[in-house]
Amino acid sequence: MSREVVTSGKQIGEDQVGLGIIAAMAALALAAVLARKQKYRRLAQSSGTVTAARRLNRAAGTLAFSVLFDSAIEHYRGSFHNKAMYTPLVVSSLALAVSAHGVNDERSEMHRLRDAIYVAAAVIGAIGTGFHIYNVAKGPGGINWQSVFYGAPLGAPAAIALSGLLGAAAERIRDSDPHRPRVFGLPAGRLAAAIASLGLLGTTGEASLLHFRGAFHNPFMFLPVTLPPVSAALLAETALGKQHRSRWFTRWWLRLTTAMGFVGVCFHAYGVHRNMGGWRNWRQNVLNGPPLPAPPSFAGLALAGLAALTLVEDRPDA
Amino acid sequence: MRDLYPGYDVLAKRHTPSWNEQTREVIDRRLTIARSDHRFFTEEEWATLCAICERIVPQRAEKQGFVPVAALVDNKLHTDDREGYRDAHLPKMQEAWRRGIAALNDEAQARCGAPFHELAGAEQDELLSAAACGELKCAGWKGMPSDAFFHRRVLSDVVSAYYSHPTAWNEIGWGGPASPRGYVRMDFNRRDAWEAAEAYPGHEEQARQENLRAGR
Amino acid sequence: MRDGEARENRRPSDDPMRRPRAIHGRAPDVFRLGAWVPMRQFGEDEEVDFAIVGTGAGGGTLACKLAEAGFSVVAFDAGPYWRPLEDFASDETAQSKLYWTDERIVDGENPLQLGSNNSGKSVGGSTVHFAMVSLRFRPEWFKSRTLLGYGADWPLDWREMWTYYEEVEQALKIAGPITYPWGPKRPRYPYRAHELNAAAKVLARGAEALGISWTETPLATISAPRGASPPCVYRGFCTLGCSTNAKQSVLITWLPRALHAGAEIRDLAMVGQIETNGADRVTGVHYHRDCEWHFQRAKNVVVAGYAIETPRLLLMSATSRFPDGLANSSGLVGKNLMVQGNQAVWGIMDDEIRSYKGPPSLAITEHWNYEDKGKDFHGGYAYMSQGPLPVLWARTLAGSRGLWGEALLNEMQRYNHSVGLKVVSEYMPQERNRVTLTDEKDQYGLPIPRVTYSWCDNDKRMNRHALAFMRRALEAAGAREIWDQEDDTCHLNGTARMGFDPRTSVVDGDCRSWDIPNLWICDGSVFPTVGGVNPSLTIQAIACRTADRIKALAARGDLEVRSKDRQLV
Repeated sequence: MSREVVTSGKQIGEDQVGLGIIAAMAALALAAVLARKQKYRRLAQSSGTVTAARRLNRAAGTLAFSVLFDSAIEHYRGSFHNKAMYTPLVVSSLALAVSAHGVNDERSEMHRLRDAIYVAAAVIGAIGTGFHIYNVAKGPGGINWQSVFYGAPLGAPAAIALSGLLGAAAERIRDSDPHRPRVFGLPAGRLAAAIASLGLLGTTGEASLLHFRGAFHNPFMFLPVTLPPVSAALLAETALGKQHRSRWFTRWWLRLTTAMGFVGVCFHAYGVHRNMGGWRNWRQNVLNGPPLPAPPSFAGLALAGLAALTLVEDRPDA
Repeated sequence: MRDLYPGYDVLAKRHTPSWNEQTREVIDRRLTIARSDHRFFTEEEWATLCAICERIVPQRAEKQGFVPVAALVDNKLHTDDREGYRDAHLPKMQEAWRRGIAALNDEAQARCGAPFHELAGAEQDELLSAAACGELKCAGWKGMPSDAFFHRRVLSDVVSAYYSHPTAWNEIGWGGPASPRGYVRMDFNRRDAWEAAEAYPGHEEQARQENLRAGR
Repeated sequence: MRDGEARENRRPSDDPMRRPRAIHGRAPDVFRLGAWVPMRQFGEDEEVDFAIVGTGAGGGTLACKLAEAGFSVVAFDAGPYWRPLEDFASDETAQSKLYWTDERIVDGENPLQLGSNNSGKSVGGSTVHFAMVSLRFRPEWFKSRTLLGYGADWPLDWREMWTYYEEVEQALKIAGPITYPWGPKRPRYPYRAHELNAAAKVLARGAEALGISWTETPLATISAPRGASPPCVYRGFCTLGCSTNAKQSVLITWLPRALHAGAEIRDLAMVGQIETNGADRVTGVHYHRDCEWHFQRAKNVVVAGYAIETPRLLLMSATSRFPDGLANSSGLVGKNLMVQGNQAVWGIMDDEIRSYKGPPSLAITEHWNYEDKGKDFHGGYAYMSQGPLPVLWARTLAGSRGLWGEALLNEMQRYNHSVGLKVVSEYMPQERNRVTLTDEKDQYGLPIPRVTYSWCDNDKRMNRHALAFMRRALEAAGAREIWDQEDDTCHLNGTARMGFDPRTSVVDGDCRSWDIPNLWICDGSVFPTVGGVNPSLTIQAIACRTADRIKALAARGDLEVRSKDRQLV
């Protein structure tokens, strides 16, 4: 093949196709690994709360994974000019590690260190959001479209806070009465559903902003601004609505949102290829192209929603 | 002039995505021009041109890499590579240079009794400054204003030749060719890994290390 | 990386500057390496509906719109048909091949510098190397004589122009701000504004400090993928040709559409004369291609060569019936040449600016285009951030600041800390500023043009105002050692102005010459006034409007496209 590397736009060289396929396989493999955990049966026995907690650990871990790589790339782009920019890497790594530990932990009691790290992640995420707001506001002209498009993203630290919140909730579910799980004195399932719902709304906001910046040039860019808000609404209904035995539509829609979160990585990989020089110019395009690790945050929140849904469906009082 | 970007060599990026084939071709061709190459100017004119270039863009012997600036000017004149306009007071580019160099030599003979290239640097500067002010008016100019010649031809052609050379780019810390890869970090005091790092006092070695990595 | 290099794209083996590329029924595919797109071709004896001279902002746009309307079109350009991905190097010197470097004589009190920043010789015209700044006129400028008391009124209504501006902004997917601070409401730009570089933030700081509005400059380079164009990579070589294809030049926007619609483009084809018949109609054009002169028959001729080549061609086409040149009964062809001020202030900052990154003019303020109080001059100006590359910067320091020797080399070492603001300002139309022919001949054997230019007092007052204001802004932004660059100008307009009256203008509002009904002029030459913004968007908007007007005239039989002309001949 003679057409190639210095490509423009739609000219696809085999290297780009290869990399795209590799990225897609990696995302699918990850999704499969996570989906395998679905073999947990929905049982009305005492381990049901542990299962729910482990699912929340998994959701928190997926979010932490997204934050870890996203902040690594974005803060590398920012040359780590402020030492505090290493913080999200440390915190999300820890959150990812304790989430993995939690997923494999079948004990029905809270783990002190895990909990401490989750709580710390929630607090640090909140502080980070403040930092990012300050960063956006200090540019010329204060908060305007330029600064929210290209300044520090407000939603990114919030994602680590959400990961911490979900994890902390998971720890408390383990500790609570299996027949009447409570977190902070509230029904655990409904609370988790509410957190996931709000998180999905916030993440939708972030995706809307960035896809608006990209002028929605590809119709698929409308997916993450249309599917997740529906998920958020369905989860809000789960959190606040009447008790049903089955919310099959909500479950189906959340699974779709999860899949979208992982497939989004492939779309973003294609987006990187569409920039000048494609993947060969990865040092520029991974930074200036669409963020590869961002979409799985939708998957993390949708997984949290699924865990919450199971709790609510199985335990009328949860 | 200081070694402000120690270790930085824009040519080290030649095989990175910052350069494409058409750029390598153009720069390679420019780099084949040797210091003594000249096809347009006669030997006598060449000596004068070299002396002029040395005053306009002085190059110390100890510096790394030499910009064959006179040869680049000669090449431009040989290919008659014009810029799209001509001051009504000036003849065509090639004729302007021949006439201007001859006139400068006449002025040097008249004032100091030697051809331009044999004068001391200070005397050469004095003559060039007089040309810049339009004060030189001997018969050799044949009506061509010396200030127009100095500004539109000498400064323009010599300076353009010098800063078309990678060695000059290294001196000023410019990123150099940039396609297909451009730049990512555009804010104040931000630099991509493939850009030159400036040596701030006390941090020269750090800058050198950074600059040695620019071509990776 | 060496692996990648071995697989690097092959270089085209042909030389587009010597041999035409748009031949044998095909034209270069500007988006794909080595690829071609089919092109309809017309015989020279075939009387085409329109022969268009020039393929830039005026001619290229019009060729597209007329071909899409079903007319048969041949568009000529003296320049080569570039393949941006393969022909454009990242090098200031080599890329001067994009400029019109044929000899032109400049004189007057303030002789112009031509070539690099105002004349292109390429298929796609100057838009191949323009800085992509895509601004609308202030509405009042279309009636500047009546409403503002200077210049001349345009025979165009700003509300109508507003719709054509929108058409062009959509066609070029302009990347601009969400809300524009000045003038009547305009629709949202199709693409979002680019990230600001440090040089642009300096402009923003200065404007904030002085309490005036600023915004991201609407630019014709995309901030997200579009079809086969990838987004801008911020390489900073915009004015030397975009090898990314992010720049939405005429070459990669209107012309591919024109070819698709059945237009023919003839590259390396220099039109030297427009032929007229005994009935005072034009019958076609004589053009030089492949070392010889040819003649193309046409029912209409459109001249779109920009404000020097357009009057030059009209003057060169003089006959015994038109001794002063075609369309010149008013005597105004070549007169009222208007450039725009391009003065700058430059300074030094402790911060690293590195303005070579990104499009050169990412931020702008049009404050003094829309504010009429506090001025001691007519007209307005905008100013923008800047990003000169080394050769241009060295020439600026040498030419405008008079530095040479060690002083120059030392100042050049502060390149990465240098920052500046540059104006685009509205100069007044003056009949003494003009294009004429000399006795000297160029490589085609055609007379070389002489371009005469002098500032009037109003221009000088505006220069002073702009320099003083920009100095304050740059100081307020934290720069020091500020100096004024006083000599630069940009853009070319006027020389065949449109108007209401055949005695005081060359063409009417439809860009149709008053004297010869099948001779049209469609480029910056038709501007009666120049405004304080870059002209390319307005030229393209006028071309879109002209195409619509031609369609309307044809529909009601006023075009003399076929029947009437035959009878007359």
